[in-house]
Amino acid sequence: MIAVLGLVVGVVAGLVVRPVVPMAVEPYLPIAVVAALDAVFGGLRAMLDGIFDDKVFVVSFLSNVVVAALIVFLGDKLGVGAQLSTGVVVVLGIRIFSNAAAIRRHVFRA
Amino acid sequence: MSDERRPRQELPPERPERAEEPAGETVPDDQGAARLTGRQRLGKAVWPPRVTRAQLIVALLLFVLGLGLAIQVRSTSENSALRGARQEDLVRILDELDDRTKRLEDEKRKLTGQRTELENSSDQAEEARKQTRQKAAQLGVLAGTVAAEGPGIRMTINDRAGTTDSDTLLDAVQELRAAGAEAMQINGVRVVASTYFTDSGGGVNVDGHKIDPPYRFEVIGKPADLEPALNIPGGVVQTLKNKQATVHVTRSEKVTVDALRQAKRPDYARSSSQ
Repeated sequence: MIAVLGLVVGVVAGLVVRPVVPMAVEPYLPIAVVAALDAVFGGLRAMLDGIFDDKVFVVSFLSNVVVAALIVFLGDKLGVGAQLSTGVVVVLGIRIFSNAAAIRRHVFRA
Repeated sequence: MSDERRPRQELPPERPERAEEPAGETVPDDQGAARLTGRQRLGKAVWPPRVTRAQLIVALLLFVLGLGLAIQVRSTSENSALRGARQEDLVRILDELDDRTKRLEDEKRKLTGQRTELENSSDQAEEARKQTRQKAAQLGVLAGTVAAEGPGIRMTINDRAGTTDSDTLLDAVQELRAAGAEAMQINGVRVVASTYFTDSGGGVNVDGHKIDPPYRFEVIGKPADLEPALNIPGGVVQTLKNKQATVHVTRSEKVTVDALRQAKRPDYARSSSQ
């Protein structure tokens, strides 16, 4: 419950406070958000499976974000940033879909 | 069902290590949770709210996620695709814009040149028309087809004896012309290059119009030249006075010559410049 509240408060804060993101970080924000979404769906699935572990969740969340941003950063340096970020988004999207399918099986039993 | 349950029953031994909840609560809770379905577990997690370290950490991370999500959504919807576009894309867009700017500059230069050209040519045409109009007005004054006004003199010849003949008037006209008269009329008849004078009993015929004394000359020219030309010894005025006529010459700053002649189109002569 508190976790859901945290998400809601974050969205509201982002919309109300309108923080300025530094230019250097800006290109990596969308990828980082997608990676974090993947971690959150993974955590939700683990919770439904009954194997949720907050430490695992924290580590996977942070490492997902960092690794995704790192891959895009590396891609930018190598000149294939656009392609690599597309690849990252595709992979994360697939993972999100499979996690969502598992969650759906738990919640709707279908 | 039994297949599903078995792996979950294996879980409890791990749980106390991971979820750092009070041990007394954890064990029965987990044993109960092991038998729960996913939906029941979700419901339990959501309600009632429990402030545990795990919940707080997850809440913090989800707060960060929500923040990033909101920022990204806002920046994407607020600005065009340029914000958040990567460097190489921006460079490409900039290049395209530069090219486009260059093309448009070229086009602008070309069109400006065309406009200047057209303006010049229309200016030239306008100038030519203006000059033609001026020329036409000048020639009109000479040919007597337009009215003229300007400084000049007025001369009145009162001739009660009737001694003034066509020769005398012609002499006067010649004298005035020689003195630089540019336009003149006698009793409302315009005097031009082809004007002729003939005698007709009691008066004079000018271009077929009979005029009677007194003869009123209206002459445009430089008054300081015209008047002395008439008054020179042995000149027109003296000759007329000898013939018992009275001559009155006055200078005027504004003399109007408004008698007109029809321009006669020559039948045979054509301009050789065409």
